[in-house]
Amino acid sequence: MAGVSLTRSALGVLGFLVGVYGAYLLLSRQDFDQLLSAAIWLAGGVVVHDGLIALAALGLAAIGARLLPSVARTPAAAGFVVLGSITILAIPMLGRFGAKDDNATLLDRNYGLGWLGIVVLVVAAVLVASLLRARTSGETGAPDTRTDLEGDPS
Amino acid sequence: MTSKRSSLVVPVPSEGDFTSRLRSPAVAARVGLWLGISFGICFLTGLISHYAQNGNQPIPFPATPFWGYRVTQGLHVISGTAAIPLLLVKLWAVYPKLFQSMPWGDVRAMAVTGLERISIAVLVAGGVFMLLTGLLNTAQWYPWSFSFRPTHYAVAWVTIGALVVHIAVKLPIIRDALTGDVEDTTHDRPSAVETGALSRRGLLRTTWAATGIAVLATAGSTVPFLRNISVLAVRTGDGPQGVPINRSARAAQVTMEEGGAGWTLDVVNGEGVATSWSRGDLEQLTQRTETLPIACVEGWSASAEWTGVRLRDLLDAAGVPTGTDLRMVSLQKRYAFGVTELQGNFADADKTLIALKLNGEDLSLDHGYPARLIAPNRPGVLQTKWLTSVEVI
Ligand code: HEM
Repeated sequence: MAGVSLTRSALGVLGFLVGVYGAYLLLSRQDFDQLLSAAIWLAGGVVVHDGLIALAALGLAAIGARLLPSVARTPAAAGFVVLGSITILAIPMLGRFGAKDDNATLLDRNYGLGWLGIVVLVVAAVLVASLLRARTSGETGAPDTRTDLEGDPS
Repeated sequence: MTSKRSSLVVPVPSEGDFTSRLRSPAVAARVGLWLGISFGICFLTGLISHYAQNGNQPIPFPATPFWGYRVTQGLHVISGTAAIPLLLVKLWAVYPKLFQSMPWGDVRAMAVTGLERISIAVLVAGGVFMLLTGLLNTAQWYPWSFSFRPTHYAVAWVTIGALVVHIAVKLPIIRDALTGDVEDTTHDRPSAVETGALSRRGLLRTTWAATGIAVLATAGSTVPFLRNISVLAVRTGDGPQGVPINRSARAAQVTMEEGGAGWTLDVVNGEGVATSWSRGDLEQLTQRTETLPIACVEGWSASAEWTGVRLRDLLDAAGVPTGTDLRMVSLQKRYAFGVTELQGNFADADKTLIALKLNGEDLSLDHGYPARLIAPNRPGVLQTKWLTSVEVI
């Protein structure tokens, strides 16, 4: 291809070969039912992210942009990124789905309380930052009524 | 949002509907860089872990440093956890690309775009799969019917391959974005002009903060000084005799009676001749104490003081020459790893013990009573508990 450097072509070929090796490993070591399960989880992750998590993030951002006073929007957006990702990460611990009744050393914390602790700290940080902003700008801001898909009033 | 679509029954957006200027190559490349680094660390440490568990090792896995596997596997889980916020923000930043239109009509352009989109689909599916299955594995939650280890391993190769292709495809944009200013708009989509609640710098700083918090909240499973702040860690690091366990005696179906009066440890040498020791016999031999970690494949680890007989002393007494590979056989009746291989270099290492005591007390049943293997630089699953025989291969 014209304009494509040697480095890029070499990287492309290398990546392709590495991927093919992986596909061979994947397909050659398990039976059909196991592969079907792996395929469902591979596709399912994309579907759940693109169809659910991404939409939920859009929706919550839009709601936040409507309801929050303008001084709180920046801190709240930051808080949302932190809490959203930490909460997704905490699901297996919060649900203790892997807990075993013969092993008290696994999942041996109060995860609800720990998660709540993080929430309290982040919400407190958002509040403090919002108050500081309100003080410096001297305005509390009226709810914004624009309905951008991005929910991003300037 | 351009309103002409809102009347459709299924409102599929187009790229142009996304107006935030945060969704830009400048952001994607900066978050992508750290995502790539964390995936790279995961891949390398994952290969190390896979090799360490391989029965067949053309180049023997080294028995030193004794803390090596603890560090590489801890890093593996830490960088995988760090990648979760990074991946979420990265995918957010490039989400409009999902709705990119095909260059209909131009066959060549369609082929190129189609191929690229396939590689991207593989990358996203693989990336999400790796982080999801890895995370669930640390919490020992297996809600699927594929076998975790071969699948996680194979998809790692697929994902890294797709990542290398992705970098090759985007290289000019990545270069421009990383060398240019974060506010640069050269490669932005035309609609990505709106400033929102966060600036680009603000989003990046927030992402680094989320990543740091994710690490601090979980890494205590393997980093002792973080134990008290890692509120989401899968282990406190505590357990019977001060050490967590992974598989209980009940799960392995081993009882105290089996390790009782009738129990012996048999060392079967190359000629098939067995030398046997009761627990009392073993206690009469020179006792050694070593500080060694249990470093689990699932990422948690804990250091402890083990006391028992140096394995090499038993092998010498049974006439097994140095450099001999061994099979360690457990009493356990359920689950994999009831029989493990111990390479000659591990069998001969001074620190490798047949442990009888843990932190000064007789091993509890869950820790492998009456005797267990503890060797340096070795994945926890291979530290065979409830030993019954050691056989020359
Ligand atoms: C697991 C790792 C990664 C995943 C899952 C991922 C995912 C994606 C996806 C889905 C896209 C949109 C593709 C399109 O249709 O144009 C994208 C674009 C991009 N990625 Fe990655 N990526 C990863 C790693 C990286 C790395 C390591 C870098 C560079 C350091 C990077 C830099 C970029 C850039 C510059 C774009 C273009 C953004 C734009 O045009 O707005 N990515 N990535």
